[in-house]
Amino acid sequence: MTNVTTEAPTLRGVQADPEDLSSASRQTSVYVYEAPVRIWHWINAAAILTLMVTGYFIGSPLPTMGTGEAYDQFVFGYIRFVHFAAGMILTVGFFGRIYWAFVGNHHSRQLFYFPFWSGEYWREVLYEVRWYLFLAKEPKKYVGHNPLAQLAMFFFITLGVSFMIITGMALYAEGAGQGSIFDTLFGWVLGLVQNSQRLHTLHHLGMWWIVVFMVVHIYVAVREDIMSRQSIVSTMISGHRTFKDDRPD
Amino acid sequence: MGATPNGFNLDSTGKRIVVDPVTRIEGHMRCEVNVDEQGIIRNAVSTGTMWRGLEVILKGRDPRDAWAFTERICGVCTGTHALTSVRAVEDALGITIPNNANSIRNIMQLNLEIHDHVVHFYHLHALDWVNPINALKADPKATSELQQIVSPSHPMSSPGYFRDVQNRLKAFVESGQLGLFKNGYWDNPAYLLPPEADLMATTHYLEALDLQKEIVKIHTIFGGKNPHPNWLVGGVPCPINVDGTGSVGAINMERLNMVSSIIDKCMEFNKNVYIPDVVAIGGFYKNWLYGGGLSGKSVMAYGDIPENPNDFSAENLYLPRGAIINGNLNEVHDVDQRDPEQVQEFVDHSWYTYGEPGKGLHPWDGVTEPKYELGPNAKGTRTNIIELDEAAKYSWIKAPRWKGHAMEVGPLARYVVGYAKGHEDIKNQVDGLLRTMNLPLTALFSTLGRTAARALESEYCGRLQKHFFDKLVQTIKNGDSTTANVEKWDPKTWPKEAKGVGATEAPRGALGHWIKIKDGRIENYQCVVPTTWNGSPRDVAGNIGAFEASLMDTKMERPEEPVEILRTLHSFDPCLACSTH
Amino acid sequence: MSQIETFYEVMRRQGITRRSFMKYCSLTAAALGLGPAFVPKIAHAMATKPRTPVIWVHGLECTCCSESFIRSAHPLAKDVVLSMISLDYDDTLMAAAGFQAEAALMDTIEKYKGNYILAVEGNPPLNEDGMYCIVGGKPFVEQLKMAAEHAKAIISWGACASYGCVQAAAPNPTRATPVHKVILDKPIIKVPGCPPIAEVMTGVITYMLTFDKMPELDRQGRPKMFYSQRIHDKCYRRPHFDAGQFIEHWDDDNARKGYCLYKMGCKGPTTYNACSTVRWNEGTSFPIQSGHGCIGCSEDGFWDQGSFYNRLTNIKQFGIEENADRVGMTAAGVVGGAVAVHAAISALKRAQKKNQEKVEG
Ligand code: HEM
Ligand code: HEM
Ligand code: NFV
Ligand code: SF4
Ligand code: SF4
Ligand code: F3S
Ligand SMILES: [Mg+2]
Repeated sequence: MTNVTTEAPTLRGVQADPEDLSSASRQTSVYVYEAPVRIWHWINAAAILTLMVTGYFIGSPLPTMGTGEAYDQFVFGYIRFVHFAAGMILTVGFFGRIYWAFVGNHHSRQLFYFPFWSGEYWREVLYEVRWYLFLAKEPKKYVGHNPLAQLAMFFFITLGVSFMIITGMALYAEGAGQGSIFDTLFGWVLGLVQNSQRLHTLHHLGMWWIVVFMVVHIYVAVREDIMSRQSIVSTMISGHRTFKDDRPD
Repeated sequence: MGATPNGFNLDSTGKRIVVDPVTRIEGHMRCEVNVDEQGIIRNAVSTGTMWRGLEVILKGRDPRDAWAFTERICGVCTGTHALTSVRAVEDALGITIPNNANSIRNIMQLNLEIHDHVVHFYHLHALDWVNPINALKADPKATSELQQIVSPSHPMSSPGYFRDVQNRLKAFVESGQLGLFKNGYWDNPAYLLPPEADLMATTHYLEALDLQKEIVKIHTIFGGKNPHPNWLVGGVPCPINVDGTGSVGAINMERLNMVSSIIDKCMEFNKNVYIPDVVAIGGFYKNWLYGGGLSGKSVMAYGDIPENPNDFSAENLYLPRGAIINGNLNEVHDVDQRDPEQVQEFVDHSWYTYGEPGKGLHPWDGVTEPKYELGPNAKGTRTNIIELDEAAKYSWIKAPRWKGHAMEVGPLARYVVGYAKGHEDIKNQVDGLLRTMNLPLTALFSTLGRTAARALESEYCGRLQKHFFDKLVQTIKNGDSTTANVEKWDPKTWPKEAKGVGATEAPRGALGHWIKIKDGRIENYQCVVPTTWNGSPRDVAGNIGAFEASLMDTKMERPEEPVEILRTLHSFDPCLACSTH
Repeated sequence: MSQIETFYEVMRRQGITRRSFMKYCSLTAAALGLGPAFVPKIAHAMATKPRTPVIWVHGLECTCCSESFIRSAHPLAKDVVLSMISLDYDDTLMAAAGFQAEAALMDTIEKYKGNYILAVEGNPPLNEDGMYCIVGGKPFVEQLKMAAEHAKAIISWGACASYGCVQAAAPNPTRATPVHKVILDKPIIKVPGCPPIAEVMTGVITYMLTFDKMPELDRQGRPKMFYSQRIHDKCYRRPHFDAGQFIEHWDDDNARKGYCLYKMGCKGPTTYNACSTVRWNEGTSFPIQSGHGCIGCSEDGFWDQGSFYNRLTNIKQFGIEENADRVGMTAAGVVGGAVAVHAAISALKRAQKKNQEKVEG
């Protein structure tokens, strides 16, 4: 999609289509993130935060609570219940998001791949890296994700969340029991990783993989909101991308 | 070949007889002997034929886990390695255990001794003396009479009872599927019992099989399962709660009652069955006094069963500690596991290397590096051994020595040391037995002596078990229910470097674990195990080990049928998984 | 599972006449020191349905699987051995030794080709040409393969035969290898545990004899009837787990009340076994009931999942003392630190730029 008509400003974002390119100016706002994407983003974010907190406490429980009989309280049970509920929401949401990738605009697909074979793409990634290393003076404009972000999203979210869903469901299948639908779908994972203890560990490590993404993601979102030439945070709320200057590229 | 420094004349010119596998033992073992024209054993070679490398595997692990690894050295003497291990770790880190933990550990260890001894005698050893096929010829009525003479208070002695067992046995034999009895040596003239004694003993084989599963329930109560109950550095894992909230889930009155009733059952069985059987069977084999080996020369015991917790001085131990060398019963040396000059292991004839020949290493500095090779005079190939070359390396067992001496360990060693030290209970038992059987003290130094000492010890352990049960109850009564000391549970509280030793008397003899800890991890871990002592190959000076010594000069009825070899080897209750670990 | 042929049928199939068969019977009787009166009885038994022959071999092991087996209460071990199976070879218990023992083995393999069960306790080491475990002067792995060739089915007793167990723990110096990695062409029933529960062992055998078929196995090859649920799924302390009531230290008040052992490292949530239901030694207790956590002894690789007392597994790859949380927190910490530094520099740059713009503007 780099064949750009000569008339249009030479905005070269590899993910920009001619429409995007012609509209990438301060005056125009581009509708990038459609409502389902935005809704998913925030539900997903909430689910993951919930999963992290509850997941952490599943691994390292709080000090023993309450003085009542065991039947009087269900603290750990609730923590686990919330985790599983959030896990289900995360899973359903993720499938919904995949569905939207098929029917939504082309930005809705960016999360699920990156143009591995495109030299142009890697050059842009490099540029973006230089920008974050303070080596480039100015960031480029992007209508969708910047290429580095796309890469990160793919590895940390597409792969990361898939991994958490698969391992999480495999753990859930253990409780649901042999012969359950969860076991039929995900029981094979247990055999693959040798034992359940290891499955827990992998799932647990996966959490930290996503934590690392989150720290960077939120920081970068806020930073770019301030320092880049386009709107960032508000885009994930309104769906519209606006630009701070008229210069192309 | 000539004389060994420890006083045996070896001659390997006669016919070589190979027994591999040696069966009815734990693990894998091979034995080769040379017999002269009279069928007398003139050279004996014993070989441990397995190695797993636990000492290598333990490196770098959490010392608090070591008990579980070492426990799996053996499922027969299960628990004894675990106890030795937690003692070694506690010794290294200066952890003391509560009084109750000491009582519970003692009860468990004693329980193991009894279980192991009973199973050994009936299920691993008895078929060396008892001919179950011959039992088919017995008159049940006469058997009943015999039973009542041998043990008047044993309730299961009616003619009908013996007839039932005999019928069952008959049906089994007539099926033509002899199972475990298949290919036994049933027409070998080495079997001397009349059919009635054979029937009585075979019946007790089955009785003991039923009983042994009851004995171990004490382990299950305190340790959750058997084999391989659970242990804990700093105490025992089972909490005591006799009357508070939730006591149903802890050691409570019901649990204590069960322990107490099992202790009674053990004592009854020892008194009514085990000891009488040994006396009765021994009576028929009174003249078969082979197998003394090292027992009359060099024996050693570490001692065990401390009355008070955390005190391993000899005076505080019910099972005696000491070493006797060159048969001098008048002098009992003290044994110090920390002294680098006392316990050392050699590997010149073992499939290991220290990089330097003739060297002995104290276990704290011990090295376990395998090196499998056969000597130049071995017959066969590397993977198909026909005959070993005992002049070279020939066993997976290392050669431990005490101040350079090959030692016998085990129940007989403990009883010889105890006797020499004037240990009252032991002396009474031994003198009583010898009087009953009308035998001199020297008869003790034999295959049968070993078997008899084990039975006496089982009986003694029953009494000790009762003592510690009462003590446990008394302590709880006094308001102390503590079972664990967690002050130094957290590795952050440990010194950067530490070393310790744990010693016990396992059923088969003196057991020691030596540990070095560095940065909260195991730096070195070495076990020197009873069967390492008894099954030891030769050392660089040519001293032969206890198994080998005991086989010397035995007359074989039929050299191709190794009944006598089995008899004497079994009297040690060899445990090969233990010996090489 | 196919019916076992009678001894007589086998002999006939091998071309042995009735006459020689009778001779064999009288020789057997004579060898056992029994009179001629026994001959017809033996002949009759050999011509009727035999007990299933079992060959029980031992590799690198601790023999606690055998010890566990003899603890069986229902059925009693003696009844299994006397009336249900024919334990024709088991070096731990058999009367014969050496050549006679090996002959007993060969004899059973010959006569019951395809009809005997092979029970394996322990496992074969493969390093040093297998000579870390020698039987009859040869590597145990040879005996195993030989006995497996004509077996109807194989039972892998315990963690050793099923997964490798303690001798296969890192660095597995002998390359101890589970049975299913050496024998590839036979149905294998794994009965893991260190050791397995006695009644589970006899339960598996009697199931096969009673229902005349292999037990249904799960994905990992274990009988579903005993291994389809975790200790935790049926642990009687589970209400305390759900309530968040944990033992915080050994022998604390919570321990005396029987709270959940999760924080003491209990591996019940990750361990498939029947301990919390069948329990041990005739239902007397099981590890958790006696106050120690489950160490996961029936799981593949349970020795190498970090300390038994850690709830979170230690991860070797990240250095000695790490678990998932420490690894993760370190990573998150490093990234967080980098972010903070990056933010500071960004702010600085931005301030610079603003200044410049002011100057220029
Ligand atoms: C980003 C997503 C997720 C995160 C960060 C997360 C985090 C965690 C953590 C840290 C644990 C504790 C692991 C341990 O140490 O044993 C855990 C356990 C678990 N998670 Fe997740 N999880 C996520 C998604 C899921 C999903 C999608 C499911 C599916 C239902 C799920 C189901 C479970 C289950 C069943 C457990 C085990 C609970 C137990 O053993 O009691 N998780 N999770
Ligand atoms: C305060 C918290 C957050 C803010 C302000 C935020 C903001 C944003 C923004 C502005 C974008 C669009 C980036 C662009 O324009 O290229 C975005 C995308 C995204 N964010 Fe967040 N985010 C937050 C939390 C999270 C969390 C917790 C996660 C999950 C771990 C997450 C996952 C994602 C994903 C997957 C996308 C890509 C959406 C798509 O292409 O479908 N965000 N976020
Ligand atoms: N030798 C030996 Fe053991 C014993 N008793 C242990 O230390 O048997 Ni398995
Ligand atoms: S599985 Fe465990 S119990 Fe069985 S032989 Fe192996 S180490 Fe022993
Ligand atoms: S004690 Fe162990 S198995 Fe039982 S509920 Fe707690 S964690 Fe689960
Ligand atoms: S340690 Fe083993 S014995 Fe049972 S409770 Fe756990 S599986
Ligand atoms: Mg050693």
